[in-house]
Amino acid sequence: MTTPTPTRSAPLRRRAAAGGAWLYWWGGVTLALLLYGLVQALLLAPTEATMGIYYRIFYFHVPAGITGFAAFGVNAAASLWYLLRPRKAADALALAAAETGVVFLAVNLITGPIWAKPIWGVWWVWDPRLTLTLVIWIMYVSYLVLRQFTPRSELQPRLAAAYAMFLFIAVPIDYMAIRWWRTQHPQPVIFGGPNSGLDPHMAYALVVCLLAFLALMATLMRFRHRQEMLSHEILRRQRAAALKES
Amino acid sequence: MKPGVHTASALAGRAPAPAAAPARPRPSAWRVLWATARRDLRLELRERDAANAMLFYGLLVIVIFSFAFTAEAQLTLRVGGGLLWVAFLFAGLLALDRAFLREAANDCLAGLIASPAPRAALLAGKFAATAAMMLMVEAVLLPLFAVIFNAPPAARWGGIVLTVLLGTWALAANGTYFSALGTHARQRTLLLPLLLLPVAVPAIIAMVQATQVFLAGSGGAEFWLKLLLGYDVIFTALGVVLADAVLEAE
Repeated sequence: MTTPTPTRSAPLRRRAAAGGAWLYWWGGVTLALLLYGLVQALLLAPTEATMGIYYRIFYFHVPAGITGFAAFGVNAAASLWYLLRPRKAADALALAAAETGVVFLAVNLITGPIWAKPIWGVWWVWDPRLTLTLVIWIMYVSYLVLRQFTPRSELQPRLAAAYAMFLFIAVPIDYMAIRWWRTQHPQPVIFGGPNSGLDPHMAYALVVCLLAFLALMATLMRFRHRQEMLSHEILRRQRAAALKES
Repeated sequence: MKPGVHTASALAGRAPAPAAAPARPRPSAWRVLWATARRDLRLELRERDAANAMLFYGLLVIVIFSFAFTAEAQLTLRVGGGLLWVAFLFAGLLALDRAFLREAANDCLAGLIASPAPRAALLAGKFAATAAMMLMVEAVLLPLFAVIFNAPPAARWGGIVLTVLLGTWALAANGTYFSALGTHARQRTLLLPLLLLPVAVPAIIAMVQATQVFLAGSGGAEFWLKLLLGYDVIFTALGVVLADAVLEAE
């Protein structure tokens, strides 16, 4: 659209601005939490006895993982919502959640090897938890690929929602298969788990970081959701305008 | 099969389709399934393009593997199950890709969808034909694999055949559904493996591990067979419930 009349474009701008106030508030809270979490994680929390400074990446690694899985949970709920009641808002939420989840889980999958190299001596092991995380990340990347490959129409949200159901149901079966597969084979015992007896200050810093990441997830998801809804609205207006001209 | 049709339309939030022609009753789901499967199989067997391609492709994969890894009995003991299933998977993808390809020409799919036939039954018929095709090809590839890779004498073939049946069911059930899903996509042939493989991970682990156990003649296959059966039942049911989501007019 090169020549949108002012009467038509003004309400859209007002509508876009309406959701913006919320974003500024929420974004501000998220930023504050992230900074506070950063200070807690890098400066105030005590250094771990055996791993030294390397362990501090956990304040980002663990929250990113939990947040990523939470986002995929939102994707499953929104997809089911769409299958029961086909609404654009449900589909936009499913898309926003999948994209956000893939990003957070990517952070988790990247920070993991960075920590593992100095501590375990290897970048990657096929431990059940690592394998499951990688598989779930791949599953939701293929969800996004499906969305990219299907033309944007009434059909796309339904196909994506159906596929999201397949993914969500595959997760527990994956969990069983991968757990059994790895425990059957001998594997080097590498670490006893960082959560065994966590220092109270460490736990506090971890909770702060987790809250910050969840707030960030909500911000990003809301941002993407709003963008998607607005782009639907623009498309609808363009079609209406084209119809009027013809 | 019968209850699935109505729950599916209820699940999708739409009223059940009104009977288009009251004079002619809705065909029974089983008859639709049988007719679809028989028609697809008959066409495939007359043409034999897909069957030949699958057979040759599967054979090539097995032969290439024997170059990539020296084919000796020790290797088969360790990774034979994996090699066998990669060959079956690649050959199977050819059949799965074709499951809905035929319907794309002359808008056949739109005609099928417009017919009063229950969609879950159409999907199930496609599944039956594709699974039968895959099993026929696998029945030829399995003995070839046993010879080329010097299958160990302790191998229990009954168990392997059972695993092949359950594993093929798993791949064909999800593959048929995703093939239907792909008919709406731009690059359908590219898309199918990208959709199928991530969801098939637990089934692939189970079928490879079970085959491995039976090849080596060791114990512990029950868990994998149960897991595979559970996967088959759950995803077949899901495909039936969600059949309307992929088979609907645009």
